[in-house]
Amino acid sequence: MRARDLRVGLATAALFALAACGQPAGRRAAPAAVGMTANRLPVGDLAGDVQSPALLSVQNPFAGQPDAIAQGKVLFVKMNCAGCHGYDLAGNMGPNLADRYWRYGGTPGAVYQSIARGRPQGMPSWGRALPPADIWRLVAYIQSYGGMTPAAQYQAGEQGDLAGAPPSAPGEAKGVGTGQAAGKSRMQSDAAQSAAP
Amino acid sequence: MKSSGRAPFLALSVFAALLAACHKTPAPNQGLAVPSGHVQGWTGATANFAPNGPAGEWPSQARDYANTRYSPLTQITPANVARLRTAWSFSDGAQYGHEGAPIVVGDTMYLVTPFPNIAYALDLTKPGAPIKWSFSPNPSPIAIGKACCDAVLRGWAVADGKLIYNLLDDHTVAVDIKTGKQVWRTKMDNPENGTTMTMAATVFGDKVYVGNSGGELGTRGWLAALDVATGKELWRAYGSGPDTDVKIGPDFKPYYDWMKGKDLGAASWPSDMWKHGGASSWGWVSFDPQLNLIYYGTSNPSPRVPAQRPGLNLWTAAMFARDATTGMAKWAFQFTPHDQWDYDGVNENILIDIPFQGRMHKALVQFNRNGFAYTIDRQTGQVLVAQPFGNLNWATGVDMKTGQPIVNPAMQPKPGIKLVNACPTDLGVKDWQPAAFSPRTGLLYAPTLNVCMDLTDHVQSYIAGTPYDGMEMTRHPGPGGNWGAFIAWDPVHGRKVWSIPENFMLFSGALATASDLVFYGTVDGWFRAVDARTGKVLWSQKLGSGIISQPITYTGPDGRQYVAVYSGVGGATSVESKQAGFPAHGNTLYVFSIDGAGPGAAAGMLATVTAAGKAGG
Repeated sequence: MRARDLRVGLATAALFALAACGQPAGRRAAPAAVGMTANRLPVGDLAGDVQSPALLSVQNPFAGQPDAIAQGKVLFVKMNCAGCHGYDLAGNMGPNLADRYWRYGGTPGAVYQSIARGRPQGMPSWGRALPPADIWRLVAYIQSYGGMTPAAQYQAGEQGDLAGAPPSAPGEAKGVGTGQAAGKSRMQSDAAQSAAP
Repeated sequence: MKSSGRAPFLALSVFAALLAACHKTPAPNQGLAVPSGHVQGWTGATANFAPNGPAGEWPSQARDYANTRYSPLTQITPANVARLRTAWSFSDGAQYGHEGAPIVVGDTMYLVTPFPNIAYALDLTKPGAPIKWSFSPNPSPIAIGKACCDAVLRGWAVADGKLIYNLLDDHTVAVDIKTGKQVWRTKMDNPENGTTMTMAATVFGDKVYVGNSGGELGTRGWLAALDVATGKELWRAYGSGPDTDVKIGPDFKPYYDWMKGKDLGAASWPSDMWKHGGASSWGWVSFDPQLNLIYYGTSNPSPRVPAQRPGLNLWTAAMFARDATTGMAKWAFQFTPHDQWDYDGVNENILIDIPFQGRMHKALVQFNRNGFAYTIDRQTGQVLVAQPFGNLNWATGVDMKTGQPIVNPAMQPKPGIKLVNACPTDLGVKDWQPAAFSPRTGLLYAPTLNVCMDLTDHVQSYIAGTPYDGMEMTRHPGPGGNWGAFIAWDPVHGRKVWSIPENFMLFSGALATASDLVFYGTVDGWFRAVDARTGKVLWSQKLGSGIISQPITYTGPDGRQYVAVYSGVGGATSVESKQAGFPAHGNTLYVFSIDGAGPGAAAGMLATVTAAGKAGG
């Protein structure tokens, strides 16, 4: 238990430390005149949060652990996640979490951020209500459905280009009636997403 | 409109002959007694069509206060309906389910999209019905994730020179119909708490009536009246809580004793659970101008797990008759006491007058989610008729002494135990999609569902802004394998006259016309015209997406009769999205006329070059 707590702490600390690194210079430097600094701001090559790649590629310390997955499942029902995302994670009021399309990134780190910080279309922020270990357990439960982006493929995942990724088994054929099992393209995932708003 | 002496006999003969010819229908009621002087339809039922506006207009979602969705237009008939073709169409780009009915007033059609709730005024006098103006209210996207059943809008209203409608993020807005500029906007609630607004704002006189959605998210339901001129809130009646909040006073006289008592909206709940008890009002409001009463229903209780809330859970799954001016309750009736299956009471109340037990009654009909069609005396709240209009097994009938359903104990869910094959599902035998009434047949025409569920309840905690729900369900079609059926219903005798099975759940409204046509659409995209007397399908046209909206008919500035319907699947039908053939989203309004004639068809190069004089004709 202590070793696991340490791992959770490290992973979570890494997330927040990196998140702070990625923030534009708010506290660190006195703001100069906007016109002066605008030209010098660094611009990344991907849409999305201004954040370090390491934040997206952080591993879930609980990934694949049966007890953590089981605890994550209990939390998923208890915290009313299932009411939005479905008891089968196939989506309902909220997005499908079992397919491979992710609005805000599908790596463990990105999904952690979505849970902790909330998202603008109604996803509440759970960062105050739940300790980091519980959020990682929820991530482990979602990971067990096979649709998430492996941390190592964070770059492809950010660009929505997972054609080279191995098809995930469970939860793959969810969504619109056409539902091919394997090799579903991003476009098909997109359609499935919008059919279950 | 007046009857001759022979008419009752003729009508009955026709009725009997038709029933005999139709294999699926039950035998006619031999004891059918139609009082003389009242013979419009087979059942003797009629309605007050106030405000009796111009015949060619469709001025409100239901066209009239009584919520009949009946049009007096007769150009399109059973003889020529097969020649209906698209005259023009209009795409609005919104990707959520399209549930509303176009409004046509004067030479203009008014549309509002689902989220982001953009309004359009279309000029019907010009080729192609171009946009006169559009209005973007920019509602907050947080509301999308708080809407239980898609980011929909079920309709809008035009009154006092304004287009008035609800935004998903809990505002009611009024837009000047000449300029497209906002006149007023009133904040009604907070989406962060799980409350949204999806119902059609409804105007009677100088008041607009609006209610909230969120029975799945532990909201506390209400219906409010705003001043049409200013948007100022005049009164708000809650669906649960003490009598003062519910606007129950000395004039409140429910017909049945079990609904009499002090503060039952709080006392029929454990401790203070009524504060997050649901009872939202997201359906339809109807109005009797002579009685000055409005009629509307309330949603399921929250949480949806009944084991957590022993008691009647008043005033959920119920309906109210209220003074239209003051909002004070006149009577109430709870359809499903201590609801255990999510049987909201919000469906439309269609105000009709019927002969019953030897005299005329001012009545209303509600096809309740719970599967019983109730014919209720709208002056007293007494249940006159309550019969199943589709497949159900949660109850064996309605006790006519108390108005209460006789619950089947085997179909009561218990937390953690899978209950197999409970019928109907949480969507009911009919959901919000409104039925129509024709005085020419005396029948109601209802889109219905034939779906059952395997249900496992999970005990829930209230967490603001999240589902307070707990029903894990899988759904499957009921007997016959068809997920839906379009039915004709006799509200006096409580019986089905004919039925058209459909492969998918039926989630479009119905439209009845004076030429004995009835229109409806299907989730797999078929728009149909049916003979109101026989149930024979006379015309079907496949549209781009599924139809979960409400068809209307109107007369254009060119004097032609048109039929219009939105195609754009979504809403609660997504629960069926895994079924083969379920269509993709869409957002197109289709307008039909005989041979597709009209301003849309005449526009374009051909018309410009060869028949410029006829363009727009």
